[in-house]
Amino acid sequence: MKNFNYDVIVVGSGAGGAMAAYTLTKAGHKVLMLEAGRDYDPKTETPMFQTNGQAPLMGSSTVDKDFGFYDATVDGGWTVPNEPYTTGENSEFLWWRARMLGGRTNHWGRFSLRFSEHDFKGKTRDGLGADWPFDYPDLAPWYDKTETLVGVCGTNTGLDDMPDSAEGVLHTPPTPRVPELLVAAAAKKLGIATAPMHRAILTRPIDDRQACFWATKCGKGCSIGAAFQTTTSLLPMAKATGNLKIITDAMVRSVDVDNSGKVNAVTYVDKKTGNDITLDAKVIILAASACETARLLLNSKSKHHPAGLANSSGQVGRNITDSTGANLSAHIPALEGRPIYNEDGHTSNHLFVPWWGHKQQAKGELDFPRGYHFEISSGFHEPGASVAGNLQGYGKQLKDEVKKHFGARIAFSLRGEMLPNKDCYMEIDDQVTDKWGIPVAKFHWKWSKHELNQVTHGLKTAKALLETMGATLDKPLPSAEQAILKGGQIIHEVGTTRMGDSAKDSVTNQYGQTWDCPNVFIMDAGVFASNPHKNCTLTIMTLAMRNATWLGEQLDASTGPIAAWES
Amino acid sequence: MKPTNKKINQSAYQSTPYQSQLTRRESLKWLGVLSASALVTSVGGCSDFLNSQNDASNVVKGHWPNLKLSPITAHGYGKDPNMVTPSSPWPKTLTADQLTLVATLADILVPRDGDVPSASDVNVPDVIDEWVSAPYEKQQRDRLTILSALTWIDDESRLRFSTPFVALSTKQQFEIMDDIAYQNSDVPEPFQKISRAFSVFRKLVVAAFFCSPEGTKDLGYIGNVPIMGAYPGPTAEAKIHLQKIIADLGLA
Repeated sequence: MKNFNYDVIVVGSGAGGAMAAYTLTKAGHKVLMLEAGRDYDPKTETPMFQTNGQAPLMGSSTVDKDFGFYDATVDGGWTVPNEPYTTGENSEFLWWRARMLGGRTNHWGRFSLRFSEHDFKGKTRDGLGADWPFDYPDLAPWYDKTETLVGVCGTNTGLDDMPDSAEGVLHTPPTPRVPELLVAAAAKKLGIATAPMHRAILTRPIDDRQACFWATKCGKGCSIGAAFQTTTSLLPMAKATGNLKIITDAMVRSVDVDNSGKVNAVTYVDKKTGNDITLDAKVIILAASACETARLLLNSKSKHHPAGLANSSGQVGRNITDSTGANLSAHIPALEGRPIYNEDGHTSNHLFVPWWGHKQQAKGELDFPRGYHFEISSGFHEPGASVAGNLQGYGKQLKDEVKKHFGARIAFSLRGEMLPNKDCYMEIDDQVTDKWGIPVAKFHWKWSKHELNQVTHGLKTAKALLETMGATLDKPLPSAEQAILKGGQIIHEVGTTRMGDSAKDSVTNQYGQTWDCPNVFIMDAGVFASNPHKNCTLTIMTLAMRNATWLGEQLDASTGPIAAWES
Repeated sequence: MKPTNKKINQSAYQSTPYQSQLTRRESLKWLGVLSASALVTSVGGCSDFLNSQNDASNVVKGHWPNLKLSPITAHGYGKDPNMVTPSSPWPKTLTADQLTLVATLADILVPRDGDVPSASDVNVPDVIDEWVSAPYEKQQRDRLTILSALTWIDDESRLRFSTPFVALSTKQQFEIMDDIAYQNSDVPEPFQKISRAFSVFRKLVVAAFFCSPEGTKDLGYIGNVPIMGAYPGPTAEAKIHLQKIIADLGLA
């Protein structure tokens, strides 16, 4: 990179890294981006319209493709070859990684719900976890800008768990489908509201991205750019400024310091040659994902930073949370043999069940402090390996049964807020290194009663909804311990480098600037002070836009903080 | 539930590539000389049940082939397969006679239905072969289950009728099907295990059928096509139907 005089190095090309790079390059700053995975182009690599029948094993999941053959994830999933992670005794944790340009934005669910003031001030309310170091009104304009750039469909509902977007920001959401309308009717009967899910799906074209054409699952990636991923939007747009250079297959090994302990370089492994390459760095943005960034900091030990870089608080790797997850589904006899039509829509739930229990929690009527939502799965899906269900017999009768059951199952997926606890953390496993000799992450995990009570409530509610629709559950409800999915399994791991008001108990300030190293910023979900139930990506991008804008202003100033960083 | 078995067998033999050079009569003659143990020996296993059975009165006690399969050692498609032009890199492992049995059973499960083809017409046996030959953990488990079920069915067929399953009359085939195609607590003990195993096979056959273009059409799935403009949502007919459901459930 001799001929490219970059101002900032960004580690990671996913939601946070790409938004940071976009924001800085648009403001005229030169950015060098390092991505651990390979180059990837959704325009040519996405299996749009390819069917399960064309795929090996009818598209079903394998250890090579954990979310099915067509999932966009390249060289990743729950395992990455030659790059293990470990877990502590009695701990289960799953860590989803992607080794590709655009990272996990290529396959994510595109759920894009705003956090609210309620979400940002949980500790003030119930004394648990941590507050965020700003208020909702500080972030609201940045949510508007991010939603405008990303393209989010949904509506302003006025519900207390769903802050409104500015007028004209949201794209019109698709109309609900029959099973969702039935859920809405059942929920209404139980006094629970449903609402259009907000998703990062264009329903009108913007830039050179097309509007959704209501086919092919978003998890495959989207060659027309309707479903947001950084590889069809932020990255090409940032490149078009002439201010962005990207190096792929660049696995960062360490953030390096000079003799005084000041950060001045980054060392990465060129995975194609296995060689280490050190790049000078004035300012570094880490957006490698919450756990990869924490791993990198903890591995960047030096005389001045003996516990790892930016870790004088001891909080790096602590406070890790995921969303809680649990599923309940049932066959709905009333939906048997219903009239066929095209139910693909935007291939995920058009309606969902936002958290409705704030008031009950305020009155102390619930035995868990934080909320959840339900995502709804249903519809006339493309058949795959499980289309036969558990139906019996043989011959035409069997086939007719399958056809009668097609589109008659409804599933609720609970996604809830988890609170940080002392038993959930990550550290470096000093016994294990990856292929590149980099010590690996070791995870420790234990749910608390807050999560288990929440899941118990969710299971009962889902059962009530299913029974209200006429379903008979074929077995008793599982216990919360049985039903709750594993830590990491919802792929919303956040909090490993949390932001706060004080260097004593947080890793960064509200701009993602590490307290210890003023020229090192964190712009992934590691900075989250809490993990509201609403999916993290929209807020990762919003924070990255806001905080990269702030960083850019500091870089522009001839005096001020930047001068101090460079001295 | 009255599939015409003659047609089923013919279609299995005539339309699938693995049998295309054989006439029906030749196939039957060839199959007739194979024992169930030869059937599994050809994939590296053996059924020692029949060899140890000299007394037909033991039939009712139940039996299970003790297959010893050599593990699949082929590679999977890896973590970065070409998704635009998908393919399975592992070799298929079923023998011609196993495929014929699979085709016969598949067509009993999903027979030709008017203009709608049968399972073997749309190459379901190839999908089963791909599945049981795959190197992944679930598929390796299913391989033992399914090959055991295939062997059990032929063993049972020989014990009851002294004839391999594919050469039985439709009535005889259905007699066995009626004993194994229902997985519930009413199933007599000797058929519990085979019912569970056959259920794994049945699910795959039905799925493979509905994943074929003809099967997908038969199922009624009409998505996976681009729609310009707003998503149209439920048809008028679907909306009226929903209103009735909502009213019937007392949710109006």
